[in-house]
Amino acid sequence: MIRFTPLGESDSVNQWIVALAAITVSGLHHRYEPGAAPVLDGVDLELGDGEAHAVLGGSGAGKTTLLHLLAGLLRPSAGTIEFDGRAVTEASAAERHVAQVFQFPVLYPALDVAGNLGFPLVNRGWDAAAVRRRVGEVAELLSIAPLLSRKPKTLSLFEKQLTAIGRALVRPDVALVLLDEPLTAVEPAAKWRLRQALKAVQSELGLTMIYVTHDQTEALTFAERITLLHQGKVLQTGPPEALYERPAHEAVARFIGSPGMNLLDGEVAAGRIRLNAQALGTTSAADGRCILGFRPEWAAIGEQGVPVTVRSTRPLGSLGGVATGLVTAKLDGRVIHVQQALDGLSGGQARLRIDPARILLYRDGWLVDDAAH
Amino acid sequence: MQRTSNKAWLAVAPVVLVVAFTAVAPLMTVVNYSVQDIFDVQTRLFVGLDWYRETLRDPRFLEALARQLGFSALVLALEIPLGIWIARCIPLQGRMTVAFLIILAVPLLIPWNVVGVIWQIFARPDIGLLGAAVKALGVSYNYTSSAVDAWITLALMDVWHWTSLVALLCFAGLAAIPPAYYQAAELDGASRWQVFRHVQLPHLKSVLTIAVLLRLMDSLMIYTEPFVLTGGGPGASTTFLSQYLTSMAVGQFDLGPAAAFSVLYFLLILLLCWLFYTSVMKRGDEAA
Repeated sequence: MIRFTPLGESDSVNQWIVALAAITVSGLHHRYEPGAAPVLDGVDLELGDGEAHAVLGGSGAGKTTLLHLLAGLLRPSAGTIEFDGRAVTEASAAERHVAQVFQFPVLYPALDVAGNLGFPLVNRGWDAAAVRRRVGEVAELLSIAPLLSRKPKTLSLFEKQLTAIGRALVRPDVALVLLDEPLTAVEPAAKWRLRQALKAVQSELGLTMIYVTHDQTEALTFAERITLLHQGKVLQTGPPEALYERPAHEAVARFIGSPGMNLLDGEVAAGRIRLNAQALGTTSAADGRCILGFRPEWAAIGEQGVPVTVRSTRPLGSLGGVATGLVTAKLDGRVIHVQQALDGLSGGQARLRIDPARILLYRDGWLVDDAAH
Repeated sequence: MQRTSNKAWLAVAPVVLVVAFTAVAPLMTVVNYSVQDIFDVQTRLFVGLDWYRETLRDPRFLEALARQLGFSALVLALEIPLGIWIARCIPLQGRMTVAFLIILAVPLLIPWNVVGVIWQIFARPDIGLLGAAVKALGVSYNYTSSAVDAWITLALMDVWHWTSLVALLCFAGLAAIPPAYYQAAELDGASRWQVFRHVQLPHLKSVLTIAVLLRLMDSLMIYTEPFVLTGGGPGASTTFLSQYLTSMAVGQFDLGPAAAFSVLYFLLILLLCWLFYTSVMKRGDEAA
């Protein structure tokens, strides 16, 4: 397990908190070649000092490109990046005080763990004694002190990635730590430990961190706020609950949650939400066709409501003595999922009832703001 | 349910036979000759290790050996750093990459004696482009009369012929380094030298081991090119082991001494390569 020395006990710990940064990204565009399709298409992002932020998205969403732009490894085609109100769009990687942890552990093979941890400091002209002291502190923080004299080759993937994280934290002036799917290469059993270590370091040091992942569990457990990136555009930024409860876009609704939100064709007529000619609730939205969205636990299959065909049930365990499960059903050829108590539920014809207060309406992909409430 | 059968030996028999007739038998014949004095097919005399003793005391053998080791050391010292440098200059992707690789591969495709002929003409002080150009600069240069010029020409020819091999191997090694290493080094504020020292060089270790081994073996066996270019001269200044051996075995038909020479030559190459390989591997283990 990871243990941490209490903050404030040694002078040097204060160095951790020298360079916090609020980050403002506006109108960021990037294409790798002129004329090619943009990888990032107008990304806006605001991060507070010491925020743990996650960028979530599928492959090809532009996550890694965004990190490279923030790190200064790439220059954007358009848009600006500011750290604490200071424009750094054209600043080099070294000038930005940014550190990054990569998908697989990137260590310098010829250097031992201490050498790897101290590398960024040596390059910035620190003297040997100061480097040794600092490396000792970081090793203590991550509980890798016993590994200091080992070569990377002899470490487990978990220890390697921990060392790589240590190298990202070693510079006291680091303003922003970027994590590019840092758990990908780590064996499943160690993922949880590494995630705990990261989270603990983040909250203890109050560092601004951006954690890029395609895994919503990782994002939801790590971050205070999540940005969902889809095809180079930010669809929504907000706390995890907001992305879950009120996804701003159909893609967010599908991406977050397991299984994702149910999305069905419906319509609004005279202030009423209708699904298959049945009125479900009222809304102030304008009349016309729309998509109805509801989470699996916002509905129940029983004897009232819209007719559906129950296809299968999968138990999820018991909650308060009641066996709950995930019910898969079909409605007009569309598969829907409902999470509910399994008692008294059998296959075949049944009826679906959706909590009318929670139905979300989408038009042209986006959430209709004034839905039923 | 365990049944043992010796029939599997039949499956390996063809390989054993081929190896026996092509490698073991000829080698043993040489070993056999090396311990006899042969006058004709009927008349032969067992002499024990006399030929070995004589070869090791032969000043011409020792001189050729010294030249051989000096030549190998020289071309390795030139080709390995130069090959690494060239490999680093090749862009990792793009249209130019292919052009670079094709141009680099050309010298490797030229038959060895053709390389000798090319340089024989190229370096001629009267009509050769290189030789005449050097002479026009006022430098006295003639590889057929000056031992130093002959060595310079030979070394240049070998570098021209074989640096590509090192460069291509190193390029393959460089191309296999994930971009994240360079990105990490950039974020860590590493200088160009440190990127080379801590990112590129460690990842080139295995290809460099192969490159050094290949060049070491090959340079120790060099025969054709000096034979065509200098014929071992002037004097015996570019006569290496293989050339001396050939003159002994084919020219003078001294089968016994030539056989002893061959065995020693073979063992020398084996020993040097083994020493190099085990030292590299041992250092790798210590690092582990």
